[in-house]
Amino acid sequence: MENSDVNVIYSVQHQLPLVMYIGQYFFFTGLSAGSFVISVIATLLGRKEFKPIGKITAILAPILLIIAPINLIADLEQPLRFWHLFVYYNWTSPITYGSFLLTAYPIMGIIYAVMVYTDRQKAAKILGILGIPLAISVHGYTGFILALAKARALWNTAAMPTIFLVSAMVSGIGLVVIIAAARWKWFDKKATPEDRRKDKRLILQLAQFMAYIIMLDLFLIVSDILVLLTAHSDAYQAGMLILTGNFAPLFLGVEIFLGSIVPMVLVLGPTRYSLRAIVIASILVNIGVYAMRFVMVIGGQSIPLS
Amino acid sequence: MAKKRYAMLIDMRRCIGCHACTVACKAENAVPLEVNATWLKIIEKGKYPDTRRYFLPRMCNNCTDAICARNCPTQATYKRDDGIVVVDQHRCIGCKYCIASCPYDVRFINPLKNIVQKCYFCVHRVESGLVPACVESCPTRAMIFGDKNDSKSEIAQMLATNATEVLKQEMETDPQVFYIDADETVMSNVEKKINYRAESSLIKLRL
Ligand code: SF4
Ligand code: SF4
Ligand code: SF4
Repeated sequence: MENSDVNVIYSVQHQLPLVMYIGQYFFFTGLSAGSFVISVIATLLGRKEFKPIGKITAILAPILLIIAPINLIADLEQPLRFWHLFVYYNWTSPITYGSFLLTAYPIMGIIYAVMVYTDRQKAAKILGILGIPLAISVHGYTGFILALAKARALWNTAAMPTIFLVSAMVSGIGLVVIIAAARWKWFDKKATPEDRRKDKRLILQLAQFMAYIIMLDLFLIVSDILVLLTAHSDAYQAGMLILTGNFAPLFLGVEIFLGSIVPMVLVLGPTRYSLRAIVIASILVNIGVYAMRFVMVIGGQSIPLS
Repeated sequence: MAKKRYAMLIDMRRCIGCHACTVACKAENAVPLEVNATWLKIIEKGKYPDTRRYFLPRMCNNCTDAICARNCPTQATYKRDDGIVVVDQHRCIGCKYCIASCPYDVRFINPLKNIVQKCYFCVHRVESGLVPACVESCPTRAMIFGDKNDSKSEIAQMLATNATEVLKQEMETDPQVFYIDADETVMSNVEKKINYRAESSLIKLRL
């Protein structure tokens, strides 16, 4: 459009409604869901060398999910009224189903962790299988929160919930890799050399798994952007905002390059047997996913609506 | 008789851009500084000396299919039987999801009360048989308010006999603020096209 001869003399833009508390909340639920899924996979496979990872992640998931909603309540203008969510629920709002999921999931997670720690394999397996849909919904619904706010073109796409789920897996595995590597380095000294080798192999495998999920994530992001760029005018502006606008350094530089490409090279490239490189990759991945939450939440709202 | 359906019609052939509606609304509803339930968007088109300003009074559209009410998790925002969308000030928890969902940027957080507010067609005045404050104040009678289901009302007759437009029809919220003869550019999202590179949005971040 020809802009040169149009000037906005006066208009009102109200402040951005959702700030980074919300992005942080998305980040923590993502970590929690990701580590829960890893824990359940470890429990289901039931091999001895998977046990430590199953245990770490089983405890991580509920802890992270208790931190997450603190962000949500801190973001409320009336934090003391948070109980209205349960009393005056509205089933057409994704926040309503979220508030019930956010209550059920940590409770289930704690029971599951108890089962894992007391070594009740059968109960842990059943709870784990039941818990996976819950973990997926607890994180998937956050994608729906954005996708169903139709005013914002960057959010209002069908890919949003899946992108959130996949990036949650990426960051969750990253966190597990960091913790498992720390354990291997400092707290695993008593194990036999044989066991230590097995443990290390497991960490390397986990990191590779992460790299494959990063590829899936990249595919989803590329397809989302391609469609944004060819859709209606608001969507096009949203795509340009993150490709060339003021969110481009964060999106292209941090999320895509530092947070996806570099870790992928570190994990699959010549450094693939180095634990240090893999830990660096996992840290980068988490920074990248955090940047993604920022770009989505803040970038999505930063295009003026009128 | 058909159900009441309150609506607003703004005749841009009459609007002189005087801001009386903005001031009246501020006074009537004690709207604090920095936020507005209604305001006048003003743009300038053309190159000197061939220029002209175009106005557009903006307010909540009290949409029939209000996405804000659909997404409000506590039913604090709801649609009344007469079509007016209101926010229950005692129920709103300030999650701001409604602000994020509304395509028109007409909702705001009242910085003094810490709840969400917006234009609600001056429901308190309408219930006592008055017209909204902005309509009352308009010196050129550019704003017409009334029950569009009542075929004898002025608004119903004006709507039937004039070409009207609404903002962002593609958002499927069925807005109930209608405009006559509003300029296409001022109705469209000019700011987005001019500003998407500018840092304006980041300054607005409330950290
Ligand atoms: S204009 Fe926005 S705030 Fe007003 S009713 Fe429509 S969706 Fe809700
Ligand atoms: S801020 Fe208030 S009115 Fe808006 S969605 Fe949340 S509870 Fe509802
Ligand atoms: S109807 Fe009332 S609340 Fe709405 S813009 Fe006019 S004066 Fe303000």
